[in-house]
Amino acid sequence: MFDVRNLSKVYNMGNVPVKALDNVSFTIDTGDMACIMGKSGSGKSTLLRQLGLLDQPTSGEIYLDGQEVTKLAETARAALRLQHLGYVFQEYALLAELTALENVYLPGMMLGGKDTDYKKKGKELLNLVGLGHRMHHYPRELSGGEQQRVAIARALINNPQVIFADEPCANLDTISSKRVMETLVNLNRDVKVTVLFVSHDPDDKKYARSVIIMSDGKIVDRVTSPNA
Amino acid sequence: MLNSLRVATFLAFKAITRGNLGVTLMTIFMLMLVAMNLLFVPGLINGAIDSSNRILIKTYSADIIVEPKGENPFITNAESLMKAIESIDGVAAVASRNTINAKITFEGKQTTCTVVGIEPKRDEEVFEISQNIIEGAYLSPRDRNEILLGVQLAGADIKNLELYSSSLQHVHAGNKVIVSYANGPEKQYTVKGIFRVRFIQTDLQAFITDLEFQSVMPASRNRATSIRIKLEQGTDPQTVIKRIDNLRDDLEFKTWEETAGLMKSMTDSFFLINQILSAVNFLIAGITVFIVTYVDVVNRRRQIGIQRAIGINPQSIAISYLIRALFYALTGLALAIIAFKYVVIPLEMRHPFTFPFGAAYLTTKFTVTARMSVILLVVALIAAYIPVYRTMRIRILEAIWG
Repeated sequence: MFDVRNLSKVYNMGNVPVKALDNVSFTIDTGDMACIMGKSGSGKSTLLRQLGLLDQPTSGEIYLDGQEVTKLAETARAALRLQHLGYVFQEYALLAELTALENVYLPGMMLGGKDTDYKKKGKELLNLVGLGHRMHHYPRELSGGEQQRVAIARALINNPQVIFADEPCANLDTISSKRVMETLVNLNRDVKVTVLFVSHDPDDKKYARSVIIMSDGKIVDRVTSPNA
Repeated sequence: MLNSLRVATFLAFKAITRGNLGVTLMTIFMLMLVAMNLLFVPGLINGAIDSSNRILIKTYSADIIVEPKGENPFITNAESLMKAIESIDGVAAVASRNTINAKITFEGKQTTCTVVGIEPKRDEEVFEISQNIIEGAYLSPRDRNEILLGVQLAGADIKNLELYSSSLQHVHAGNKVIVSYANGPEKQYTVKGIFRVRFIQTDLQAFITDLEFQSVMPASRNRATSIRIKLEQGTDPQTVIKRIDNLRDDLEFKTWEETAGLMKSMTDSFFLINQILSAVNFLIAGITVFIVTYVDVVNRRRQIGIQRAIGINPQSIAISYLIRALFYALTGLALAIIAFKYVVIPLEMRHPFTFPFGAAYLTTKFTVTARMSVILLVVALIAAYIPVYRTMRIRILEAIWG
């Protein structure tokens, strides 16, 4: 599904260039449940943002189902994000003025289709993540874990090929974290969506089928989790 | 594009209905005040112009002035000419006037003026001077020793008159004044009445009957310095002028607009003031919308970043801000028009603004309101677009995480 070749990202901190990604190459297969792990500052979130088309690499290529996507214009990248990629942020990235249901179906509305269709699907997805009873609540009325599950439901609204989750449990308690991760595992298993998540918690390896270990902007190891 | 518009409308609606109500109301209120100001200034100016034109026609010029051509000071055979003019379609009334310069003296104080000889009945049909008597009475056809004075001549102890210091100051109805005519005669008259039409040129005149005028200037019999014509509403002055011109070739014509030189400089100044104030008001409207939108996009930068990250295209987000700006401007505009029409205008009708030429009543003209509305909406759109455009150019990650 993803073929990443010689990907580098350099940030300029003042006059000092900092290599956040250093010539990274790897592939992700369709249907995988992959985890990118590493210490803080290892480049795992930067890598996820390049794959999620939220940022542009300094060099290298990313192929999504054979199509090179790094050099696409912003409009085309927005269209790809809308139709093929779902993103779950570390912070609770919901729109404050929209209810849980409206947050979920907004990308569906952007994609088009009947009003009743995306609303119905939004409700189904909220039921799927166990929040059917909270669909008319605003983000401020939801717990952190509930907000992350709403974000997961939103990421699924347009039937994406892949969901990116950037440390989705970083701000959650243990119970909520478990619930969010189990939701992602269930989606990967039942909906067959590819999931690529970032975590710095070694315990999260158990949810992944493959684990990419990063350090100083490089992939230092790639293992298949025995627990997956 | 349809989807972009649909999402934009959705986002705008949610932001308006679920956003900060105080900010929304304040923005609408500000734009309402700006729109009211934009309606008020041209409304007042148009009202003042209408009022000044009306007073000019009704007290000074009439619709058409017929004068002798060339060096000849009089229109000859004035009676038969007036009868002929009266028979022309569209002519409502005709009056002849004779004028002579004179000095008027009262208790040692002297002033100069134009004394006008009129046929009171006919003059009343063309002009409204008889309706503006503030002391005494209007002239009767047989009056010989009576004179009607404009308030700017008499003074009438009204100390706040524009020309009070150069007037006779203390003359009232019933007083006797001495009139020394430019052609020699000097005569004492009783002031029969004092009029005040609030148009200085008229209020500086004195009137006597044509009978008396003929005694002062015998050569004026069946002659007139000018003939004033009142037209029926909707009559084209040029058509009537053509018809009169066919009657005789020793006449020349002026419409009331050609006598409005003083008024023209005033109305030109009014228009200029209107343009300046309108430009300032549009600037205020633009700055209001700009600040509200700017503060909003700065506060929602992260939200905008999230919207873009989940695939909402930048056009939708930008259009949602434009829709909000349109909503603010349209609501402000609608409230301003309603308040202006149903509160301000009726209130001003009861307490009109007074100018030297009389009361000015606020008016609304569809074309002025429509043009102002369109400009205001365009200004609001441009003002909203600038900060949104700048925010849309920021990278998504920067928008979300700063």
